[in-house]
Amino acid sequence: MSESAAILLIEDEAQIRRFVRTALEAEGHRVLESGTLVQGMVQVHETKPQLAILDLGLPDGDGISFIRELRTQSEMPVLVLSARSAEGEKIRALDAGADDYLTKPFSIGELLARVRALLRRNKTDSAVTETSFRFGDVEVDLMRRKVTRNNRIVHLTPIEYRLLCAMLADTGKVMTYRHLLRAVWGNAHIESNHYLRIYVSHLRQKLEDDTAQPKHFLTETGVGYRFQP
Amino acid sequence: MNSTQSQKNDYWASALRQPRNMVARTAWIIAACGLVTVLAWPLRDALDPANIAMLYLLAVALVAMRAGKYAALTAAFLSTGLLDFFFIYPRFSFTVGDVQYVVTLVVMLAVALIVGNLTIILQRQAAEAIERERQSCALYQLASQLAGISSLDQVASATRDFLHQAQSCQSVLLMRRNDALQPVEQAYRLGSEMQSAAAFAAMQQSLTRHMQESDNYWLFLPLLGSTYVRGVLAIDFGTCSPAAINEKLALYEAIASLVAISVERLHFVEVAQRTQLQMTDERLRSAILSALSHDIRTPLTVLYGMSDTLLLAELSPAARDTVVAMREQALRLNSMVSNLLDMAKLRAGNIRLNQEWQPVEEVIGASIKLLGEALARHPVTVQLPPDMPLLKFDAVLMERVLCNLLENAAKYAPPSSAITISAQVDGNKASLSVRDSGSGFSENKLDKVFDLFERGNAESSVPGVGLGLAICRSIVEAHGGEIHASNCDGGCVTFTLPLGDPPVIETDDSDE
Repeated sequence: MSESAAILLIEDEAQIRRFVRTALEAEGHRVLESGTLVQGMVQVHETKPQLAILDLGLPDGDGISFIRELRTQSEMPVLVLSARSAEGEKIRALDAGADDYLTKPFSIGELLARVRALLRRNKTDSAVTETSFRFGDVEVDLMRRKVTRNNRIVHLTPIEYRLLCAMLADTGKVMTYRHLLRAVWGNAHIESNHYLRIYVSHLRQKLEDDTAQPKHFLTETGVGYRFQP
Repeated sequence: MNSTQSQKNDYWASALRQPRNMVARTAWIIAACGLVTVLAWPLRDALDPANIAMLYLLAVALVAMRAGKYAALTAAFLSTGLLDFFFIYPRFSFTVGDVQYVVTLVVMLAVALIVGNLTIILQRQAAEAIERERQSCALYQLASQLAGISSLDQVASATRDFLHQAQSCQSVLLMRRNDALQPVEQAYRLGSEMQSAAAFAAMQQSLTRHMQESDNYWLFLPLLGSTYVRGVLAIDFGTCSPAAINEKLALYEAIASLVAISVERLHFVEVAQRTQLQMTDERLRSAILSALSHDIRTPLTVLYGMSDTLLLAELSPAARDTVVAMREQALRLNSMVSNLLDMAKLRAGNIRLNQEWQPVEEVIGASIKLLGEALARHPVTVQLPPDMPLLKFDAVLMERVLCNLLENAAKYAPPSSAITISAQVDGNKASLSVRDSGSGFSENKLDKVFDLFERGNAESSVPGVGLGLAICRSIVEAHGGEIHASNCDGGCVTFTLPLGDPPVIETDDSDE
């Protein structure tokens, strides 16, 4: 099913729509184009696409309220395109329910990789919850709460383990600081970004080869983290 | 109303003015005392000498009013003499028959002296009151003139006209500009070095200065504002006597403070207007910046995306090289635009640092990953001490600093040579450096590489506009740090960040 999906592309710039369409169709997807938010919402109702790619800077309205409205009726993944480098806007879009973002200009390879990850994620969500994960030389057994690296047991503190589980649960998505803090510490520590950073660095020390150039626990500067298997 | 009132004042002033010449005063004394003597003579037997003494007192008071202090004294003695001579037995002699008249005469002399004196004091006070009223009336006129004025030129000309008409003296208004004094009106300026020096001294000491130059008497009054001396009002009194000017010093100082108030009012009006203009300017600038950033990035995205799409298809090696080059150029253009926009934002001073405590390792990793392909030909080594403390910085801006430094290193280092990022604690600050094994910076340009539009090697074929390092410096300095370039087996840029007081993190060390 991930080979062919209906993807809704909401973007006002025709030339951007053109090359994104070409690339997605080359991957075997069906692309629905829309130049405005209003038309985009109509297509969400009519054709029920599996994924939406949304430009945040559309002339006919606020992309963030579009995401909020979309989230009241659909769980489909949303990939946001942002022309601005303002981190605040990305965070607002992600907190409103977007799953990932790309900053313009973006490479086609990057776009296709993100689309693939989001579609795969959507599929596993509906399937039976997985009981074990593998990334690099690390294996996580969720049933027995056991983490091994090269078949050797890795000791994680309770918070480190909770953080690892929260990041595994959102594989392929960008997780904002706020989202992770709430998932691990609850609502009380929403402002304690430095706690989160310290624990992510613990996970890197225990599970990455080179902590300064991580391969799995990636930093999205100013926004949050991304877990990449 | 003002003019009629001042006319009335003039009338009273002239009525009360005392004759200056000796003959007139003597005439007043003789006339007053003589008249009383002549009028009282027929009644000499009907009236008691004590009552005639009263008539003489009246005459003394009149003389005091009209002819001044010394005339009153003379009249007092003369009246006493006349009373004794004509009305006290034995008549036509200064001897006093009855001892009780000695008392009458002595008391009369004393009362005459006191009455004369009191009259004069009263008169002087009345004259002073009139003069004061004239002055305050004049000040009121000047104040109401200055209130409606909207430029310094008008302040100067109103003050000049006022002083000329009311006080018949010349004046020059000087304003302070960068610790020097400049005349407001080009046509009215100080004539000599001495005058300028006195004006400058008045400004520096904020004290009124007097000066006598040839025949002219000058006064230099500082214009005291709420924070500093805003200028000096110089008044040329011509040949007026210093005593007369000193008498009216309070008036001139009041004039100077009126001028100072209007000058200050004009200054604050200007400040308010400028602030408003600046705010509008600021809004316009950020609107232009965000429009630019959107409008330039859109075609760049198209260019970059389309060349990327082309690469998906089968291409001849030559065509593929061209497309790859196109894509690279689009990326470079993008990084230039980002740098330009960042610089514009930093220069406009409207960047707010979002500083948080974080491990520096994280932002180093993010920068290396962000540069991706640009660093593909250079292995990057990161050297961090294991106990590196948390630092407080804006992660997005610090990423920009590291990206620019890495990009720079990659540009100038020979292919496949290593780039090293290292960090250490150095006293009360942390220092981070990015080293490459390239040819380094020209020794004579080490201090200049962080200047805007300055390039390490102007003739170099390596592309760039010299913005990257300037942005690094702006960001590092905004964090309270310093940035330096040096040469050590290649180029090396080191920047520091203050250590501060990192928050204590309680960790849960119990194992799962």
